[in-house]
Amino acid sequence: MKTAVVTGAAKPDSIGHEVAVRLQKEGMQVVVLDLYEEGFASLPGAQCIKCDVSDPAAVEGAFASLKEVHVLVNCVGGSWEITKDDLRAGPRRGFRGLTNCSLEDWNAIRGANLDSVFYCCRAAAPLLRKQGGAVVNVSSVAARKGIPPGAEGSSGPYAVAKAGVMGLTRQLALELGSAGVRVNCVAPGVIASGRLKKVQAVTAKGAGPEGPLKQIPMGRVGTVAETAALIVALCSDDTSYLTGVTIDINGASYAA
Amino acid sequence: MPLEGLRGKRALITGAASGIGSSVRKRFQAEGVQVFATDIHQTGGLIVADLTDADDIEKLSAEVGTPDFVINVAGGPVAPSRSETLPSLPKSNVVLEDIDELQWAAVIAANLTSAFLVCKEFAPRMKARKGGRIVNFASIAARRGSDRVGVHYAAAKGGIIALTKTLALELGPFGITVNAIAPGFIATPRIEQSAWGRSSPEAHRAFLEAIPLRRAGKPDDISGVVAMLCSEAGGYVSGATIDVNGGLYFGP
Repeated sequence: MKTAVVTGAAKPDSIGHEVAVRLQKEGMQVVVLDLYEEGFASLPGAQCIKCDVSDPAAVEGAFASLKEVHVLVNCVGGSWEITKDDLRAGPRRGFRGLTNCSLEDWNAIRGANLDSVFYCCRAAAPLLRKQGGAVVNVSSVAARKGIPPGAEGSSGPYAVAKAGVMGLTRQLALELGSAGVRVNCVAPGVIASGRLKKVQAVTAKGAGPEGPLKQIPMGRVGTVAETAALIVALCSDDTSYLTGVTIDINGASYAA
Repeated sequence: MPLEGLRGKRALITGAASGIGSSVRKRFQAEGVQVFATDIHQTGGLIVADLTDADDIEKLSAEVGTPDFVINVAGGPVAPSRSETLPSLPKSNVVLEDIDELQWAAVIAANLTSAFLVCKEFAPRMKARKGGRIVNFASIAARRGSDRVGVHYAAAKGGIIALTKTLALELGPFGITVNAIAPGFIATPRIEQSAWGRSSPEAHRAFLEAIPLRRAGKPDDISGVVAMLCSEAGGYVSGATIDVNGGLYFGP
């Protein structure tokens, strides 16, 4: 049985959760690294480890218990509900760009979105090299086009960290390619996850299809199912010659 | 596991006689897709059509009806003709001075005009049905340039990327996704026959060693990505060009 590690999978209605469920259906043993303990019961059959993936020692500890890893999917991220302290806080109001960003926010957002991917990839690399495998990182359309000033629910540091994830993907693809480990990335646009619903609930935007949807040529937001299916495909043999690549999944709202 | 969203659908595949097109055809058939395969090269079970000829497209269109998936594989660095439908590839790198105006026009027509005409014929029907997937074929030659294939082929494939992005905007409101695949070095029978990449066995080995995955691609490596784009996994992917090259070039 192959083993897949998925970070940020404990919250139901999240991309990571759906990835974990689908990888189990593909017959894999799934290990979840997440801080959100309340969600562990929603993943029966998975091995859920409480772990702050922005803490390198915690990541090393979690991987030390694993004998093999074939797949690593780094889903942890976001601009809020990312640290022990704000895990259940909901979205913060107001626009957070770079020029009005506190060092504390910068470190927390970079830690959750970029440092975590580095720590998990570094810890998984020796196990992945043993037999080959696949890594999928989750970036964002924000890395391509930034967060427009005034927009709420996301942040400037998030856009920067997610661009870092694309760079990390490329570098790792070079380092692990000869061992038969593929490293790819997806960059989602607006996806109808639980997190989007929380943002919409407090900003009251997106109540109707007007506004943001107008900027999406496909006229709709993406689904968690579509995004998870793409991530799972990047772990499968269908993408056996893809590495170092970022696939944009945004309803044609931004073509790289 | 079979991919979600393929079984029972209808697909048009162009350039299906050999190589990548043939692999897509087999993969779709294995997934339970009803396949309409066409090529200028006459071979078992294919609809023969020259996709640069409006009359041929009309005949093809009558036979195919409304497809769910349109896969524009037809093309290549040397344009086929009705008398030479599967032309061999040059033995050495193609430089500017090798290309005359007729070759320029023929390669642009075979690679870019063909995709334009096929989209123009079938997209209105897909629009009426409010859904569908179009997959076009670009090339690493357009993404990062190439010292092998010649500017005509690279330019035509660059045109495919622009056509893909534009059609994604135009057809998005109708629930149609439009994407491109940019293959790297894929060991198709035609590539294998030519001398490209192997001026010497050592040079070829060095070339393959420079690919992060340390190997040439296979046609099945490409048809897997086509299947992915037509499945549930491709439902919200549109306007994208996906580089499938073993890590030789990562994209813009």
